[in-house]
Amino acid sequence: MKKISDITIIDDDAITVFGLRKLISSSVDCTSIESYDNGKIALDAMTDFHDNGKQIPQIIFLDINMPIMDGWEFLEAFIKIPIQDKIRINIVTSSIDPFDLNQYEKYKNKSHHLITFNQKPIDRNKITEITKVA
Amino acid sequence: MVKVPLTTDASYLIRQLPAPTAFIDTNYNIIQTSDKWTSIFNENEDYASSKSLFAVFPNLSNKWKLVLNNCFKGNPQPMGIHQTIDSNGKEIWFEWVNTPWYDTHENIIGAIIQLSNITEAVNNELELNKKNLFLQQQAEITKIGRWEFNIADNQLYWCSTTKAIHGVSKDFEPNIESALFYYKEGHSRNTISMALYEAQNNGKSWSNVKLQIVTANGKTKWVMAGGKPIFNKGAIVGLIGTFQDIHEQVIADIKTIDNEKLLRTLIDNLPVNVYVKDTESKKVLANKAECEYLGVNDPKDILGKTDFELYAYEAAVKSRKEDVMVMKTLRPVIGKETVKKTLDGKETSFLSSKIPLLNSKGIAYGIVGISLDITTLKEKEKELRNIINIASVQNKKLLNFAHIVSHNLRSHSANFSMLLGFLESEKDEDEKKNIVDMLSKASNNLLETLDNLNQVVSINTNTNIAVKKINLYDKVTEACQNLSALISNSSCEIENNIPVNFILKSVPAYLDSILTNFISNAVKYRHPDRKSHVILDVEKKGGYSILTIKDNGLGIDLEKYGDKLFGMYKTFHNHKDARGIGLYLTKNQIDAMSGKVEVSSVVEQGTEFKIFFNEKN
Repeated sequence: MKKISDITIIDDDAITVFGLRKLISSSVDCTSIESYDNGKIALDAMTDFHDNGKQIPQIIFLDINMPIMDGWEFLEAFIKIPIQDKIRINIVTSSIDPFDLNQYEKYKNKSHHLITFNQKPIDRNKITEITKVA
Repeated sequence: MVKVPLTTDASYLIRQLPAPTAFIDTNYNIIQTSDKWTSIFNENEDYASSKSLFAVFPNLSNKWKLVLNNCFKGNPQPMGIHQTIDSNGKEIWFEWVNTPWYDTHENIIGAIIQLSNITEAVNNELELNKKNLFLQQQAEITKIGRWEFNIADNQLYWCSTTKAIHGVSKDFEPNIESALFYYKEGHSRNTISMALYEAQNNGKSWSNVKLQIVTANGKTKWVMAGGKPIFNKGAIVGLIGTFQDIHEQVIADIKTIDNEKLLRTLIDNLPVNVYVKDTESKKVLANKAECEYLGVNDPKDILGKTDFELYAYEAAVKSRKEDVMVMKTLRPVIGKETVKKTLDGKETSFLSSKIPLLNSKGIAYGIVGISLDITTLKEKEKELRNIINIASVQNKKLLNFAHIVSHNLRSHSANFSMLLGFLESEKDEDEKKNIVDMLSKASNNLLETLDNLNQVVSINTNTNIAVKKINLYDKVTEACQNLSALISNSSCEIENNIPVNFILKSVPAYLDSILTNFISNAVKYRHPDRKSHVILDVEKKGGYSILTIKDNGLGIDLEKYGDKLFGMYKTFHNHKDARGIGLYLTKNQIDAMSGKVEVSSVVEQGTEFKIFFNEKN
């Protein structure tokens, strides 16, 4: 398995972050796992990485319902950052609102990044599957 | 001077005869004429002795010859009436008589012809005949019969038309008793009897009296009778009168009246406003509904008036324009929704139609208007629409709520199942303890979520929440006291501008929650660079008590977050106490009391919430 450099988790729920970290670290070979409380902090970090020529995480786990800036707003802003690499963005949510699925369809075709839609809970097999580099 | 073979004396005598006279011999030659004769025929002196009678009257018939021949034999006969032309070319009529002319020996030597001018009599007779004919024709055409009653010999005369009206034959001979008998018993017979009596005794005439007769063949008929006495030297000698068959007319009139009544009854009792306007848009007909609508009892009060005298100016201008259009294009307006405003400001919604009235040449001489008052219908429609709106909003809210519930519960259960999965396979005791801590945290989160959801449900299900009159000033003071720790820690100034005795209607618990939430939000999201200042105001307007809570805090980008401001679990500031439930709950509470909330905000400057408490509760 190819080693993944950086994985980023964007979620306001501490338990989910804890779970994802635990699952990822025990099943995927990666250098570092970063996590952000909401979209705004994450976007600021990503922009900063890009502006300063730093590596953008190869895989992003993204929650939808978050304060300040939610997952969709983050995605809208993120795909506008001119990143050459193809980033894998895994949306992880417990929402069954059709609105969210529609949004996913919209963004999936709007960007060159690989975007996936995943319902909670996420198990070990799922994690392995969705942490392959895009 | 006339030359005659007779003695001068005799000749002179003949000449002076007052009647036009001629003496002829047995050869029909005129021997001697009177001056009168001469003056009529203007004969010259030569012809008198020589002219034959037939030369003077070339068109005299053979009958004359016979008659004169008989006369020569001593048997004179009347010669009859003859028409001729006098010297002036005028038509004249004569009656001729002749007698044999005897000489002194009693021998017949000729005939004496005497004329009497009867032109006037003939003309009078002709005139009379003409008049009779004329009367008869007139009677036939107009169906006006005549009658005459001669009092002296108690004779009654009916003309043929009068007889025809009575349904009797032409040779029927009426008398005054039977004539009266033809009148229908009761009113008709009594009336005519009285009229006859009055005419004969008091010389009064009667005219245009509508009565009924029963004809010879038993048919009841309407007639118009008139009569007047005839006087001779101041005494009443008879009566003359007219007699007219007006049955069809009366029946038609009755029918017309019946039809008119039917139409009027229909128009008046239709549950719509009906009117007719002339080319100047003046009302010429208005039914009961239209009168009631315009607030008058008698149609006379609005007939002849234009819309400008009945409606508000703008409505009248519009209506007049429409009238002209309909009359110009001849195209009716059918079932158009219009709002009319009367002079007293009353507004009514109508479903109105305007139909052009055409004369025989196809030109409009007015319009018929039919308007159905749909004001109540419109109000019902509005109400219904409101209900639909409320229902659809409720529906949306329910669906949104279902998604929230589903999302929240699912996220917690996902956490549980994930943590339990870890726990199962975890060997490290420290990590196990860590996971169990996480589990208890997840459990607390779930409980809190359930508690929040429960609050939302209870707001939305308690539809019969008791609304009370509450002193707002006291409530604000109370809320500030409860939040005193937060307020004093933030060294925040609360300016309560609410009148001390201001009363509004609200569910007490909701008002507490609303005040606490908005005031604490205003304090929480204060601007770090300046002293926080919160102002509370209230006013009554449009059926609402409007509470304004204004702060000078961080402000919210409404363009970005406007639609999410009152959403569940939405927070917009990176604040450690933000849970995203307060505004969601207050919004639900305000909605539950049929109120509303408006927000205006400028980022970095502050936010102003206006909370509308419905006064109708």
